[in-house]
This record gives sequence, C-alpha cells and structure tokens, in this order.
Amino acid sequence: MTEEGRATAAGHGPGGCRLEARDLVRSYGQTPALRGASVSVAAGEILAVMGPSGSGKSTLLHCLAGILTPDSGQVWFDGQRIDAMGENERSALRRDRFGFVFQFGQLVPELTAEENVALPLLLGGTRRAQALTAARGWFGQLGLDGLEQRRSGELSGGQAQRVALARGLVAGPEILFADEPTGSLDSLTGEQVMNLLVAAVHEHGTTVILVTHEARVAAYADREIIVRDGLVTSLSANWAGS
Amino acid sequence: MIRFGLRLTLRGGREAATRLVMTAVAVALGVGLLLIMLAGINALNAQNGRTAWLNSGQNGPSQPGRVAPSADPLWWVLTTDQYGTRSIDRVDLAATGPRSPVPPGIPHLPGPGEYYASPALTKLLRTTPAAQLGDRFPGHRIGTIGPAALPAPNSLIIVIGHPARELAKAPGAGQVTSIQTGTGGNASVGFDTTTIEIIIAVGALALLFPVLIFVSTATRLAAARREQRFAAIRLTGATPRQVSVISTVESSLSALAGVAAGFGLYLLLHPLLLAAPSFTGQPFAPGDLSLRLADVLVVAIGVPVAAAVAARIAMRRVQITPLGVARRVTPPAPRAWRVIPLLAGLAELGYFAWAGPPKSSNGQVLVYFLGFLLTLAGVVIAGPWLTMAGSRILAARTSRPAALIAGRRLGDNPRAAFRSVSGLIVALFVTSVAVGITTTILADHGAPTNRAGVGDVLAESFIVNETASGQPISAVAAVRSQVLARLLSIRGVRQVAVIHISPGGATAPRQDESSLPGLVSCAQLARIPALGRCRAGAAVAAITVYLGQAGPHSAQAPVLPAASVSPQRLQRLPVETVLVGTNGSAAAINAAWTELEVAFPYLGPPSPVSGTPSQDVYGELQRLSEVVIVASLVIAGCSLAVSVASGLTDRKRPFSLLRLAGAPLGLLRRVVALESAAPLAVIALLSAGTGFLASQLFLSSELSETLRPPGIAYYVIVFGGLAASLGVIAATFPLLDRITGPEAARNE
Repeated sequence: MTEEGRATAAGHGPGGCRLEARDLVRSYGQTPALRGASVSVAAGEILAVMGPSGSGKSTLLHCLAGILTPDSGQVWFDGQRIDAMGENERSALRRDRFGFVFQFGQLVPELTAEENVALPLLLGGTRRAQALTAARGWFGQLGLDGLEQRRSGELSGGQAQRVALARGLVAGPEILFADEPTGSLDSLTGEQVMNLLVAAVHEHGTTVILVTHEARVAAYADREIIVRDGLVTSLSANWAGS
Repeated sequence: MIRFGLRLTLRGGREAATRLVMTAVAVALGVGLLLIMLAGINALNAQNGRTAWLNSGQNGPSQPGRVAPSADPLWWVLTTDQYGTRSIDRVDLAATGPRSPVPPGIPHLPGPGEYYASPALTKLLRTTPAAQLGDRFPGHRIGTIGPAALPAPNSLIIVIGHPARELAKAPGAGQVTSIQTGTGGNASVGFDTTTIEIIIAVGALALLFPVLIFVSTATRLAAARREQRFAAIRLTGATPRQVSVISTVESSLSALAGVAAGFGLYLLLHPLLLAAPSFTGQPFAPGDLSLRLADVLVVAIGVPVAAAVAARIAMRRVQITPLGVARRVTPPAPRAWRVIPLLAGLAELGYFAWAGPPKSSNGQVLVYFLGFLLTLAGVVIAGPWLTMAGSRILAARTSRPAALIAGRRLGDNPRAAFRSVSGLIVALFVTSVAVGITTTILADHGAPTNRAGVGDVLAESFIVNETASGQPISAVAAVRSQVLARLLSIRGVRQVAVIHISPGGATAPRQDESSLPGLVSCAQLARIPALGRCRAGAAVAAITVYLGQAGPHSAQAPVLPAASVSPQRLQRLPVETVLVGTNGSAAAINAAWTELEVAFPYLGPPSPVSGTPSQDVYGELQRLSEVVIVASLVIAGCSLAVSVASGLTDRKRPFSLLRLAGAPLGLLRRVVALESAAPLAVIALLSAGTGFLASQLFLSSELSETLRPPGIAYYVIVFGGLAASLGVIAATFPLLDRITGPEAARNE
C-alpha cells in the first residue's frame, strides 16, 4: 500500500494529522509567496501562523483551506487531497466542514445579524426557521443578545467580528480558519473576541488555524509557526495558550 | 482643486480610468441615441412640413401656418387616389384670378387641361398603360413637382388644373385663399399639429426617460469605491467643498468625453440611418435627418452641466468624513401613498370611459394625454413601493440564501432597485399602450376581410349629402348604359351592379360614411356573390356595402332580405353606388378604377370594398411606436447592465468572502439575477397590464371599442426585450466570477 493509500485508510493525512501540508509552492506571477512550506495541525489544536507582512502566511492559510491551489505540494485533510479537488468539491468542503473568520467586511450588509449567522446553515439546506433558531443560540454565547435584527452597518467593529465568529462556527465546522480576526479591533475588543473564540472552539472541539501578526493574539494558540519568505521557519509550543 | 481633480481622474490608476471609460461610454450611448432621436424628430417635422400644402383646403383662413390670404382664391379638391397598394395625392384646382396662390414645387398654376406630376408619378405614368392610370388625369403634363412639395422623394402627387366654373360644382370643392406652409390645424395627409405634438411628447418621454436613467446610473458607477477614495482625501485635510469639486470635475470630464463620443457615434450611425427604411414609412429627403444648431448646443452644453449638477446633488446625500463614508440620511422606506397617482390615472381614464369623452377635440387630447401621463407616472412612482412590498414578503418567507440576500437588498433600497429597471418599465408601458390602441384601431378599420372575393370589388359612391331625416342625396340620377358597357368590356371585370337609394329608408340606417345601405337587383348581384345573395324568388334585395376596410365582414356572404320594390321601379330610383366585381387581377382593378374616375369626374376616386390596407396614420403610428420601443429597450438594457455591474463592484468584498467561505458561485449568480430579474418581471407584468388597461379605458371611451389582443410582433418585442435584459444580467456573471475570485480577496 502506498503512503497515500495508508493515509486515506487511516482517515488522516500522511503524517496522521487532521490537516497537513507538504512542500507547498505558490507564486503570483513572478513573485513567489510560498517556497516549500510544510505544516500540520492536529484535531482540536489551535495553531497560530505568524509572520511579517508579505511573508506568505495568508497564502498558506488560503492553500490549507482550499481557497487557492498550490503550484506544487500537497494538502491533506481527513484522508483527502484538497489540492487535487475541483473547485466545486473544494467549495463544498469549505461550506460543509470549514468555517472562516476574516479581518473585516465579511457580513452581507443587506442581511440582519441573525440572518448573517444563519447563512451557512441555509446554504447547507437547513430550513429557515431551524437555521434562525440555531443562529440565535450563538448570540447569547457571544454576548450579542439584542443585536439579532441589526444590520452590519449598525454594529460596532467588535460586535460585527463576534457575529462573524458566530457565522464561522454555527455550522459546526471541523476547522475554523481565522485570518487576522482581531486586526481591525482595538486591543480590549480584540481580547474579548479571542477569549470568546477560544472558549467556543474548546467547547466544540474545533481545530483552529489562526493567522496573525500580533504575538498577543498568537498567545491564545496551542502552538505557533512563523512564516518568513514563503517558508515555515520555526515551530514552537505555546504553553501560555494551553 | 480643479487641476487636482483632473489629475485624479486622468491619472488615478486603472480603477479611475475604468470608471471614466465606463461612464463616458454610457453617456456616449445616451447622447448618441438622444441625437438620433432629435434628428428623427427634425426629419418627421421636415417631412410633415412638406406635406402641409396638401392640407390647404382643410382649414379656415385664420389657421396657423398660413401666409397672407389672396384676393383670388383657388378652388381646391384634395383626394387620395390609389394605384395598387400605393396612394396618390391628387389636387384638382382652379384659379379664380391672377393672384390665386400657387402651391410650392411648381412655378405657376396649371391651366385647364394641364397638370404637374411628381417625379415618381411621372415615371409611373410613363411605364403604365394609360387605361390603368394615365386616363384618370385629364390633360397633359406641363412639368414636374419640385422637392419642396414632396414629403418623400418617392411620393406620388399630381396637381391638375380645371376651369373654375367646373371645379366649383364638384362635391367637396373648397376655396383656398392661401397655401398652408406649416403643420398647423387638421390634416388629411400626414400628421396634424396635435398628433405631431403627442408623438414628440410620447417619443421624448419614452426615450428620454431611459436615457436619463442610463446616464444617471452610469455616473453612479462604483459609487461606494469612489466615496471611499474621497474619504481618504478628506483624511489628508481636504474640505467637503473641495471633495465636492473633485467629484464634479470627475463627473463633468467623463460626461464631456461621453458627449464627444456620442457625437462621434451619431456621425458613425448617420449614414446607416439614411440607408435604413424610414420609420415614417416614406424615405426621407437628403438633409431631413439632421441636427439643428440648437440641438447640438443643448446636448453639448446641457449633458455635461446636468452631469455636474447630478454629481453635486449625489455628494450632498453622503457625508464623507476622514474616517469613512456615512449616508447622511438613511432613505426612508417608500410609503403606500405612492400607488395613489397610478390609481388616480386609471380612475381618470375610467371616469371618461364611463361618462364618455369630452366634447371638444382639444379637451379629449388633454384628458387622455393627462390620463396616460398620470398612469405612466403612477407606475414609476408606485414601482419602489411595490418592489419593497414584494421583496419584504420574499425575504421573510424564503429558506433559500439567494432569495434571502436578494430580497433584503431589494427591500433595503427599493428605489435603487426599481431605478435599474425603470427604463424598461416605461418602455413597456408605452409599448403596451401604443400597440394596444393601434392594434385595435387597425383591426377594426384596417384589416382586410377574410371573405373570399370581397377584395376584388370596387365601389364608386355618389352620395354627396343627406337630408335632414338622414336620407342620402346622390349626385347621379342614373348610370348611362354606355358606362356600364365600358366597364363590362374591361378584361377581368365580371359584373357591374348598381345600388339605388332606398325610398323612405327601407333598408338599414346608414351607420357612417363607410356604410352604404341601398337596394340592388338580384340579377346583377348574382355575379358578385361575395357581397351577398338574394332569397329564392326575390328580384330586389336590401344590401349594405361597407367601403374600404370598415364594417363587419363575416367569412360567409350574407343572405339579403328581399325588398318590396319592383325591378322597374328600382331603375328609376337615384343611384347610390356602382359596384364593379373583378377577377382580382391588378390590371382589371386598375383599369376599372380608371374607368370609374373618367366616367364620374369630380366625384372622387372609388374605394375597394375591402382590400390591402393602404398606408395610413395608424400604420405610421405603429411603426413609430415600434422604433421608439426598440430604442427604449436598447437604452434601458444598457442602463440595467451598468446598474448590475455597479452593484457588483460595490459588494465585491462581502461577495468574495462569501465565496471563499464556500458559497457556490451559482448562489451569487442567483442573487444578482434575482435582484434584477424579480423586480423586472413583476413590475413588467404590472406595467404591461396597466398599459393595456389604460388602452382599454381609452378605446371604450373614445371609440366605443374593445381592446384587441396584440399581434405576434408585440410579444416578440416584449419577450425579446425581457430576454435581452436577462442576457444583460447574465453578461455580468463573468465579472462576478472575476471580482469574487480568490485573487480578488487576497488583494483587498
């Protein structure tokens, strides 16, 4: 049996991890963003991806999440090679098994906060009433009570980010990808959001891949890696976050 | 600050350049269409102006558009002759003195036995046997009518001179003291003033509204992105006024570029328009389809000024602070009062349908025009409220994410949503009204009968007046046997039947000028079976002949009631009509037509009992409305495209992040399609329905007729327009794909 076959049979990537990337190379035109980056994440782990601007950390996250396909290298999730999937398969994977929180501007401005949160469930075919009920359950948990009918323009940055977090978690994703989730927030609000994020993912056993350039935010992770010039240059256990 | 604005616009990077080009293209299309419309109106006026002289006998001396009256009036008879399917305008005139007015296009008045013919008629006379055409016109040709008197280069017109004493006795002869030079007053040829004004008003409304919507939409292209840039400029210390100046410079510059390109587009299309069939049904003369200096100036100055004003107004609606953009006022939701104008318009038309039309023709024009205008304005005003109501219902009930997002967006700003389709809605309303009315009128007055053989019968009526009790008065006591023999000797003529005036109103009452109730010999009628047949044993029957395309033509020839008049007595009764049954060949019909005109001079040309409809005002109106409709649909489609593309650009980030999070591209496509197609389909149905309802109310009030279903052309235009609109929406999908791709999200 080949390595790939064994990995598939085991339900994990070649290294036995929840998500694993090997030797990822990705360029934008002539500019290389990843030059052989490898990383693995265990189930339930919170991994912080750090690095300076332009180091390739967002590209790494996009490749891991199946948003981008690498020019070469492999991405494994649950025994499947994401990089070999078609766009539709990757979309379905992102929709059904992953969750996302971005820096800002991810809420659909026309929808109310609760409709925004319910959107992934509606996309998955859940009936409206059920989807809204499930969405409302997150409002209390994230300190958003009373804001269900607000539009994104009527929410503060922290509130909007918490709504986005609820949206990222409402469908029960196996992995949550968070790209600078506190990047547009002040330190106090950022801290609140991170506390809620960590509490929620621990409660649901969700794996988190967190891209940030702030050490304070990275400190919430179980482990952190540093991306520099398209390579993962260091790995460290973060005991403060565990 | 103006220089800074110019620099930002011209050297502001790819996005600014794209916005400039897109806006300029939109303005160019709008301006190009506007210029074509203005040239079309000028052409219509020019053509109609050259038609005016033919209507000199239609109006009194005080009518507008006349030169000083002459002391020596002209005796004048205008009739419309026919050769095949082509109309010939025939003016029989006679001078009463040396100062009698001379119509345009001829150097002097033709004397008795002389005539002038238009170049096209001269050619036709030369190539057609005299027995089929030339013999109709007494005398000889002394010259050609010049272009000043020809509505179109191919017009068939003849001006025939007569002795004044003879022509004065002709039925319908009138005295003309001056030649009409303008389009004032009534018209039997071309359009009258009121019709011209209505055509221009409706055409302008149907075309200008979509053009304005289009230009307005184009200037709002990527407004959100633009406003974000202005916020950045504010952050560097610019005052709101300075930002407003920059915005105005940007809009004016793109409008100026658009105006220049629009003139280029017009010049590019002009030769094609000249070569294309004229929308009036008659080719234009060289120079008709052109712009006046005033048109050029109004467009060249007006459009950039309007763009600048629109930009200033738009900037007042948003508050651009150094920290971002905030809407100064959240637009309040449309209220239910918006349906009142629509209901009022329909109520006004409904009232006159119930109470009957006003007595005066001016009053009728005012009432109906206002009714239609109010209804149209009502559709436009009610549109946002209906959009909001529908979208709220949709958003509150749906479980589909695409419908939810689309419904919420429509409900959030129903005015903007409706604006993007309002051009199409106006075009559709005007289409439905124009088609509804013209189809019904043409169906009732213009459709040839489906009864075999009726189209082959000519009728020459001699009724010149009627008594106080309604009894017709004929100009002919009896038809000479030589005339009947000559008619019967024409190859292809099958029978000649003479209809006599019924004594004491023994037959059905006369309904209008087109219906001729009288008595006919059953022996003569037997060889023209298409008109009816007598009961067995009857010698004389009562018959009603409907001339032209009027009247109830059933597919079956009727059985005529017997009349209690002996054949001997019938011959002594005054003659009402001569019917000539032919074999339907063009040669037989033309020859019989000519013979009737020669045998009965001054009594006007005969009429086909039914036949191919000739060119008439309704046909021209229908053609005009089709041109306006197609142009409106094109403009409205462009407007929709720009609006959809603009909406996509403004929501680039949430859409791309949704897609990254796994929302399939199909979902986003459905959102875009629903946002545009749902209001389009619903309001289009309402608009067309309201248009037909308004038409029905008008028809029942003014003409006591019932709306006929439109022909296939209407469905082709409407569904073609809607399909094209859906195509326009679908054409933005590649843009959606591109701007929401992973690359776009990364570069945000």
